[in-house]
Amino acid sequence: MAKRSKPKHPLHVARIVVQLLFLGLFLVLLVLTARGTFVAAHPRLARLFLDTDPLVLAGMALAGVFTSGLLAALVIVVLSLVAPRAYCGWICPLGTSMDVVDRLLFRNRDRSKNITPRLRQVKYGLLAALLVLAIFGLGVFGWFDPVCIMTRSVGVALYPMADQSAKTALVAAEEHGIGGAGSAYDWGVANRLLLLETDLKKGGPGRGFGVGYEWAWVFTALFLAILLVQAYQRRFWCRNLCPLGALMGLLGSVSPLRPRVSAKCISCDACRKGCKTGAFQHVEHKKRFASLVQECVFCYACERNFCPVDAIHIGAGHANPIRPQPHVCPGRRALLGAAATGALLGPAFILDQRTRAKEETNPQFRPPGALRPDDEFLAACIRCGECMKVCPTNALHPSGVENGLAGLWTPAFVYNIGNCDYYCGVTKADVDAGQMDKPANLCGTVCPTGAIAKLAHIEKTKWKIGTAAFDHSRCLPWARGEECLTCEEQCPLPEKAISHQSQTVANNEWLKMPQDKRNRFDELAARQAKGETLSADEQKELAAMPPKTRTLAQPYVLRDRCIGCGTCENVCPIDGPGGIRVERLQTREIK
Amino acid sequence: MSHDLTRRGFLRTAGAAACAAWALGGCSGGATGEALKFRARPHPNAEAWKGRLGLAQGGDDPARNVRAAVEKLCGPDGAKTFIKPGDIVVVKPNIGWAQVPEMAATVDPAVIATVVRMCLEAGAKAVKVFDNTIGSGSKCYEFSGIEKAAREAGATVEQCAPHRFKMVALADPLVKRLREWPLYEEALAADIFINVAVAKTHNASLVSLCMKNLMGIQGGDRGKMHQEIHQNLADLNCVIRPTLNILDATRVMAREGPGGGRKEFVAPARTIVCGTSAVTVDAWGADPAHLPWMQGHHTLAEVKHITLGAAAGLGVADPAKIEVVA
Repeated sequence: MAKRSKPKHPLHVARIVVQLLFLGLFLVLLVLTARGTFVAAHPRLARLFLDTDPLVLAGMALAGVFTSGLLAALVIVVLSLVAPRAYCGWICPLGTSMDVVDRLLFRNRDRSKNITPRLRQVKYGLLAALLVLAIFGLGVFGWFDPVCIMTRSVGVALYPMADQSAKTALVAAEEHGIGGAGSAYDWGVANRLLLLETDLKKGGPGRGFGVGYEWAWVFTALFLAILLVQAYQRRFWCRNLCPLGALMGLLGSVSPLRPRVSAKCISCDACRKGCKTGAFQHVEHKKRFASLVQECVFCYACERNFCPVDAIHIGAGHANPIRPQPHVCPGRRALLGAAATGALLGPAFILDQRTRAKEETNPQFRPPGALRPDDEFLAACIRCGECMKVCPTNALHPSGVENGLAGLWTPAFVYNIGNCDYYCGVTKADVDAGQMDKPANLCGTVCPTGAIAKLAHIEKTKWKIGTAAFDHSRCLPWARGEECLTCEEQCPLPEKAISHQSQTVANNEWLKMPQDKRNRFDELAARQAKGETLSADEQKELAAMPPKTRTLAQPYVLRDRCIGCGTCENVCPIDGPGGIRVERLQTREIK
Repeated sequence: MSHDLTRRGFLRTAGAAACAAWALGGCSGGATGEALKFRARPHPNAEAWKGRLGLAQGGDDPARNVRAAVEKLCGPDGAKTFIKPGDIVVVKPNIGWAQVPEMAATVDPAVIATVVRMCLEAGAKAVKVFDNTIGSGSKCYEFSGIEKAAREAGATVEQCAPHRFKMVALADPLVKRLREWPLYEEALAADIFINVAVAKTHNASLVSLCMKNLMGIQGGDRGKMHQEIHQNLADLNCVIRPTLNILDATRVMAREGPGGGRKEFVAPARTIVCGTSAVTVDAWGADPAHLPWMQGHHTLAEVKHITLGAAAGLGVADPAKIEVVA
């Protein structure tokens, strides 16, 4: 690495400040997104980074999905036309995270030999394949989009982990009598910095860990991998894999603004070794260097701090440019190959998903407002995880591959963990003012692509996600002759979708009696029925025996009322799968 | 010797210590079944007043009715008859549902505010208001209007925290079925416990009044209370005996309880009744002769948790033996 003898370029300093500000903004917005009130009041702010993502815009355009919010991404498109990957160097929260980790862990690590010009072509191939998949109606580019990665990793994995640790520490401190810990905990909960709510329903010993997501460990592992692979190469992800970086590099290929190496170059190799994205390359038989405009992230380190002879200038001028500019993009044949791979994967994913959908034994329940049929949802969903993050009951989780690979990390309800909140996104002020027409599904409010439509309270509470059905082999009144009706109690609909009727059922206490006692009961009862007068002892004996039957309230689902919010399944007191579960019955409306 | 403390060495020691502390913490936690200690003092006249109720009805001001009912029961000194200066008071309203007060799913905020003020006027050091809600805690606290009203009246209003529920054994000879349950520490530790319920129907227990309202200090999976709910409620009331029980029947959810959600389910009753026994208050309140329950919804005799509670000697269920001071 070059010695930093000279002061930094002013734009270098500015870049670091801007980077940290954007990372801070990203994190603050993500934390605020845990508050429904913030999301309801500032939906565009809550999804700012996703709304301004050009890859999302491009992918959605190719998938035939249009949402006006995404036009904000045009700002970044224009930026890319001028300064191709300045976004990566200045704004991208994932890029900044990488820089922070690099600074902390790998600052003095010599990675100058790990230059892999061919590897960086992979990102163009990935971009081509993902965009072709988008044309096939699969929004799977979200698996690789850096803003989606960041949103998923932080929102669904790291924030809940930090929250968990903070709560564990505060609870331990409180239990050891450390002053202020209890009030700090209460303050955190009241201000929704600590994620707690979903647990109160079944709060108590052994619970109370707060919010957690299925698959979160995968997001943590991938995020760590992206940060730590920098031990091999700085900004490994950005150089070699990032499809958004590839897109912006291509957009800006024509930009005159780029690092220009003048004829003063002494071919010392300092820029090639120092550049964090490997944007410099030998030309003219290793006599000179030139920059790759598609790779430069405008970090402004080279101009002052790498080049010992001031041969580099970032600008639009034409001071002794070296021609021809080296190419970084793979050849036409490789790109076509990547696109063809996408074109093969598309039908494979779709067929897989449709085959699974036919099976219908493992249905997925999408958030209210999710586009239907599910093919349309899969096209518009970018798997960013915002909806899961904002869900006030922790009910939405990233899917696995149960319903096909294409569905990986799309949101689906896990009713055993949480239910779709009846008053989601509504405040008391709204109720008092009778303003029930604003978006009342927070998942739809934060969805950047409209994969989940915004629904008013009145629409959301009529949106049929699924239909609850009793499992008569598990439900307590049906299967075991025990009282319950917890599901009916907590059905949130004003016209409850669960009702009950009293029936005569076998009495468990009678069933527990051994045969000789049962015989004795029958004998006494028969004599009494014949009009015989029983002795006082016999009467006492008969009265002490439990009757054969009892009346018991057994619950029923009223299918046309049920909207499949899953509250019943969530509160069912049976451990394991509930005695009432949301199923797919009647989710497809007959028209 | 100072150079012995290297960074690496320090980190290693600190890490080991942290792990040890963690492991020890893990071992010490999670013990179940400590015998329940409900610290709140009973009302000085609790035994003599088992069958006595204070009643105030009419008018449009629930706040006035609360004061009047407590004064009818306790005399002109009201809350001063049982609160000593410096007491920590817990007021446990029903905040269980995310519904606005007009739906009668939760206690009227004016009632809670008045109770809080009465406690503070009687010299209480602090008044804590909480309920383990059924819906989202913050939503229920907000929608019911109780959080705001109680804070303005001077109470501390916090959501229940899962770690503050402690598993306790309900070791009382009167308890028949409910052997142990996680209960909220702050509820057990208060000097004075005031139980404020709203009058509602209930799909499983027929009515939800003061006895049922105590479920709000329970943690755990309360759906499991629904198996033999009447006996479970009677058991809970055997060990948790509030200093004062107030039934807010300003509005009555006459049907479709306990969640409700429509004004059609609500009937105005403009009534506050209070007593030292939750059973007696409930026996009066569940009686269709006293409150506008939906025609034929229940009879007093059908509400088994009240009769079971009376049989255990917790109060009086026989309407003829209840003395109402109005």
